[in-house]
Amino acid sequence: MNVMETDIAVIGAGPAGLSAAIQAARSGAKVLLLDENKAPGGQLFKQIHKFFGSKEHHAGVRGFNIGQELLKEVQRLGVTVMLDTVVYGIYEGLALGVVHQDNHYSIKAKRVILATGGQENYMAFPGSALPGVMGAGAAQTMINVHRVLPGNKILMIGSGNVGLIVSYQLMQAGAEVAALVEAMPQIGGYGVHAAKIRRAGVPIHTSHTILRALGEKEVEGAVIARLDQNMRPVAGSERELSVDTICLAVGLNPMTELAWMTGCQFEAVPALGGPIPLHDHNMQTTINGVYVAGDIAGVEEASSAMEEGNLAGIAAAESLGCLRSDEANAQKDIYLNRLMALRTGPFGEKRRLAKEHLLEAMKHASADRVSS
Amino acid sequence: MSSVDAVVIGGGVIGCAVAYNLAKAGVSVAIVERDDICAGTSAACDTAIHLQSKSPGLHLRMAQESIKLFPELQKDFDEDIHFKKTGTMIAIQTREQNEVMRVFAERQRNNGLDVVILDRAAAVEKQPMMKGDLVGATYCTADATIHPQFLTKGYFQAAKKYGAKAMLHTNVENIALKDGHVASVITNRGNIQCKYVVNACGAYAPFIGKLTGLDIPIAPRRGQIVVTEPMPKFTHTIVNCARYIAAKFRPDLLGTSEADRMGIGLSLTQTERGNLLIGGTREFVGYDTRTTQKALLYILQHAANILPALKDIHIIRTFAGLRPFTPDGLPILGNVPGIEGFVMAAGHEGDGLALSAITGRLITEIICEKQSAYDFDLTKLSLERYKNLDIKAFEAQYAVYK
Repeated sequence: MNVMETDIAVIGAGPAGLSAAIQAARSGAKVLLLDENKAPGGQLFKQIHKFFGSKEHHAGVRGFNIGQELLKEVQRLGVTVMLDTVVYGIYEGLALGVVHQDNHYSIKAKRVILATGGQENYMAFPGSALPGVMGAGAAQTMINVHRVLPGNKILMIGSGNVGLIVSYQLMQAGAEVAALVEAMPQIGGYGVHAAKIRRAGVPIHTSHTILRALGEKEVEGAVIARLDQNMRPVAGSERELSVDTICLAVGLNPMTELAWMTGCQFEAVPALGGPIPLHDHNMQTTINGVYVAGDIAGVEEASSAMEEGNLAGIAAAESLGCLRSDEANAQKDIYLNRLMALRTGPFGEKRRLAKEHLLEAMKHASADRVSS
Repeated sequence: MSSVDAVVIGGGVIGCAVAYNLAKAGVSVAIVERDDICAGTSAACDTAIHLQSKSPGLHLRMAQESIKLFPELQKDFDEDIHFKKTGTMIAIQTREQNEVMRVFAERQRNNGLDVVILDRAAAVEKQPMMKGDLVGATYCTADATIHPQFLTKGYFQAAKKYGAKAMLHTNVENIALKDGHVASVITNRGNIQCKYVVNACGAYAPFIGKLTGLDIPIAPRRGQIVVTEPMPKFTHTIVNCARYIAAKFRPDLLGTSEADRMGIGLSLTQTERGNLLIGGTREFVGYDTRTTQKALLYILQHAANILPALKDIHIIRTFAGLRPFTPDGLPILGNVPGIEGFVMAAGHEGDGLALSAITGRLITEIICEKQSAYDFDLTKLSLERYKNLDIKAFEAQYAVYK
C-alpha cells in the first residue's frame, strides 16, 4: 500500500470540487483533487446550455465552457489531479482509502473537502426495471458526452429543470419527446425552459403520473394517468403512449457515504434532497477538518455548488494558516453574498430557508463537535 | 406506572429470542431497547451458525440443541429467516494447524459432530473456489446459515403476536430494588413495575449490571466484515480458516504481527441475494465500531489467499460489530447472586445467532421455574463463576474503556 500526504484533499472534481481546489491552491496550500471518473468536470461537461444569473455566475456561458475555464485554472495552479480514482473510505486521522489504477493508497490529508455531488432518484412502478427506463441525467450523458441517442421516442417523468433541459436536448439530438409528465399541478422548472418545450409542440401533463411501463423485454410504451388532489390516479383517465424510452427526472439525492463514514452529524432536509451533513458558514461539518460543498451539502445547482466550493476552499486554507483571517473573511463575504443572490426568487427561497435551518441545527451541534 | 412480569432490556437477537419464549409461555413481557430492534451487534455480523467453531463440551452441545430449533421457529414466524444447512469447510494452511484441527475434530466427533478432514486435493474437489494456499480442510455438514436481521425480526414479531410489549428508543436509567428483589425498571419514558429483569444487552450488558452494583466481565470485541457485490453461487458451504478457530480459542498459536494481533481469520458466507460477507477481525478496542483500512486490507489478502477468485469481485461495503466477549468463551446466563429476579442473557461473543434459540428456552425455564428439558450444567454459565475475577484487571486487559 502506497502512502501519500497532502494539506487538502478534495474528493470530486465537479464544479464544487474544482472551485474548492482552485481557492485552496491559490492560498498556497498543497492540494490533491480526486475523482472516480476518467475526466474531470463532474456534470459540467454535459451542460451544453447557457447558465443564468449574473456575470459572476457565468451567465450566458455554456456549462462545458465553465468546466474548461475551471480546469485550466486548476492546472495553472499546480493542483495534483488524480482521475480514475476511487475513494472508498475515510479512516481515523483523515486517512483516505484510495484505489487508483489498480494500486492501493492511503492518503493522509490535513483537511478533506467532500464534493461528491448527487445521484438521480429512482422511481419504482411496474416495468421500471425494463431496459429503456433510465435517469434523465444518464440520457443527457449519453447524448452530450458519448453522442449516443438512448431512444427514438421519449417519455420524460418530471418537469423540473433537469426534465425540461434534457427533453429539449434530446430533441436537439434527434429524438422525439412524446410528453412530459409532472405529478404536481404546476411545472417544476424555469418558465424559459418550459416555453421552449411547449413551442416545439411537446405536451407537459401536470397532475399526471406514470402507472406502468409496457413491454416484455424492453420498453414499448407507457400508461399515464391524471392525479386527483390527493395524488391518487383518477380512474378512467389512463392513457397509453407509444414510447421506447422512459426518462426519470424526479430529483437528486446527495452522495453522502463518505460523510457518514467520518461520523459527522446529519439532518434530513427534504427540500435539499435527503440527509445532509450539518455544516457552518465555512462549509465545515461537525467533524473538525471535514468540509462539504455542492450537492452533498444540499442538492442545488452548479452555480451554487461553485460558490460553496469557493467557500470551503478558502475556509480550509485559512484553518491551515495559508490565509490570514481578515483576508479569508473578505473573500468569504464575496462568495456568501453571491450564494444569497442565487437563493432568491420562488425556487431559491425554499433552499435558502432549508440552508438556514441547517445552520441553526449546526449551532446546537457545535457544542459537542468532535475531532476524528 | 405500567406493570409486567418481566422486562427484557435489549432488542438484539438474544433479547428478542428471550421475549419470544417468555411471551409464548404466557409471561407478560416488555422489551426495552434504547435504539431500534436489531440495531447493534445482531445487525453487524455475518450469517453463519457454526457448530464446528464451538469448543467440544457444553458449548457445542448447546449449539447442537439450538440449531435443532430453527425449523420449528420458522413455522411460528411470518418472516422467512433463510435458515439453510450449508455445512462448513475450514481451510488448513500449515502442518501445525493441521495437527490442532485433527485433535479438535476428533474431540468434536466424540461429541457427535460429523467432522472429516480432507487433504488438499479432496478439499479443492469439494470446493473448487478454494484452490489457494492450503494443505487441506475440514468438512462438516451440520453448520447452517441464517439471516440475522430477519431472525431477530422474526422473534420480535412473534413475541408481539404472543402479547409482548415493546418500548423502543427508550433508555433504561435505573433498576429499582425492594428487599433484594427487582421491583421496577426506570426509563426516560416512564417506570415499569416488574418481577424480573433480563439483561440482554450484549456488549453493553456491563452498563446495566452497574445499575445494580453487579460486575459483569463482558468486553466488546470488534469484528470487521467486508461485503461484496451480489454474485452467482460462489461457495456451497461457509468457508473458514484454521486461524479463525485459533484466534477464538488459542490466540497463543497466532504470531505477533499486526494482522495476528487484530485476530484476522477467514469467515465467508453468501447471502441469499448473493453478496459475500467476508470476515473478519477479533479486536479489543473498546466500544469503537469504526472500520479500519488495515483490517480491510488484511481480511481481503487473507481471504484471497485461500479463495483466489475473490480478487476479481467488487467490494461494496464494510462494517464492524461488537461481539460480547467473556473470559471463558461461554455466555453468562441465568440468576445472579444477591439480586432476586435479575437474570443474565448476554456474552455470546460471535454465537448470538446460533445460541439465540436455546438461550430463549433456558431463560424462560429459569424464570418460569420449570424443570429444564436439557441437562446442561448451568453453574458453568452463571455469573457466579466469575466471583473471584478481578474486574478492574479484566477491563484493563481487554481495553473495555479504551
